Amino acid sequence: MTSQQKTTNQATCPPTLVKAEAMQSNAVKTHQPLFETQTQKMDESAAHDIVMIGAGPASLTAALYTTREDLETVIYEKGVIGGLIAICDKVDNYPGFPDGITGLELADNLRRQAERFGAKIELGEITNIERQDKLIKLSTTDGDQYAHTVLIATGSDYKKLGIPGEQTYYGRGVHYCATCDGPLYRDKKLVVVGGGNSAVQESLFLTRFAAHIDLIVRSTLRASEVLIHQLENNDKITVHLGVITDEITGKDGFANKVIGTEVSSGDKKEFDCDGVFVFIGLVPNTAFLKESKLELDEIGFIKTNELLETSIKGVFAAGDVRSGATMQIASAVGEGATAALHMREYLNESRL
Amino acid sequence: MPKNITIYTTNTCAYCVMVKKWLTAKGFSYSEVNLDEFPERAKEAVEVSGQMAVPVTVVTKKDDSREVIVGYNLAMLAPAVN
Repeated sequence: MTSQQKTTNQATCPPTLVKAEAMQSNAVKTHQPLFETQTQKMDESAAHDIVMIGAGPASLTAALYTTREDLETVIYEKGVIGGLIAICDKVDNYPGFPDGITGLELADNLRRQAERFGAKIELGEITNIERQDKLIKLSTTDGDQYAHTVLIATGSDYKKLGIPGEQTYYGRGVHYCATCDGPLYRDKKLVVVGGGNSAVQESLFLTRFAAHIDLIVRSTLRASEVLIHQLENNDKITVHLGVITDEITGKDGFANKVIGTEVSSGDKKEFDCDGVFVFIGLVPNTAFLKESKLELDEIGFIKTNELLETSIKGVFAAGDVRSGATMQIASAVGEGATAALHMREYLNESRL
Repeated sequence: MPKNITIYTTNTCAYCVMVKKWLTAKGFSYSEVNLDEFPERAKEAVEVSGQMAVPVTVVTKKDDSREVIVGYNLAMLAPAVN
């Protein structure tokens, strides 16, 4: 970094927030039991200011904002920090990176920036939330926690095909993470199922390793024009449009064939392969809210109002998990910032 | 405390990063076999795990018994190393 750059970067930070004492006060509180044994009275001062569920782009951005406001913030993550972007090969549609950036690197950048101002990331799972008086109770795998306000940003996960053989050969030829397991298929023959951006992007990534890829698309390609152009110029990938994937079969415990049906003719199609990667869309990570009475839409995404508030007072939602989300990193980041500002307002008003 | 922990990883695997991060946070040391650097050892990872997937974490305990965990699965990883 040049001295000019350093000066410029420092100038962007509000002076009050770079003071050592401000950083110190961001330290996470030591939490004692919240209920007195005899009176069962809740100690609000021992509750977290903010708990965020899921450490993806939405919450890491929200945490950047809340910690810079000196609000104590803890993020719970049960899987990968960064969420789906961390397992994405390359991100080309997030502004500020003219040459693109790997998903893993972007996730790490977001994490480091949030942690720089005091956000604490706990590797653990939230199993339920409920409002109790003025606080939100969070059931975790390590006991109960309480927070004044909560952001749910658990994102989404890759949808399963739900066909015979998929579960049987999971991890033994059936995969949902190309960046993880793709390198194990050097010079092998693969099938990729799906026709959206993820399917095409990950197919292109897998050509680094695979000898050939059959891309099976149920209807037509729905990927961006840039990706479709790259696909057309890649002779390692054969696209099969209008083919429904029916079954995955195997031999000696590992997947070795995908069987499908051509929609136009009704003919059966078989694709010999060493592995299958599935990218057919996203499902919201809201199973843990089943007992919470929090309002979801018919698919399972969280309903919010224009302030990103959910049906439980003090609980906000942002990013892919929110009903109406556009499933874009740039949108999730924007929603994270929006949620953070409204959470700050909520805290200010609720503490009056 | 286990006698030895070995993790089979790939360069771009975010779950591999999480396993290493969790073990480091808990104070465990481990050795890593990066299958992008040593692709010839991929067969070894598949044989030990029975799966074509990473991360593969092999925990060798004091009595030389082994536990193999595929993926970033704290529900299995935590009891295996303790």
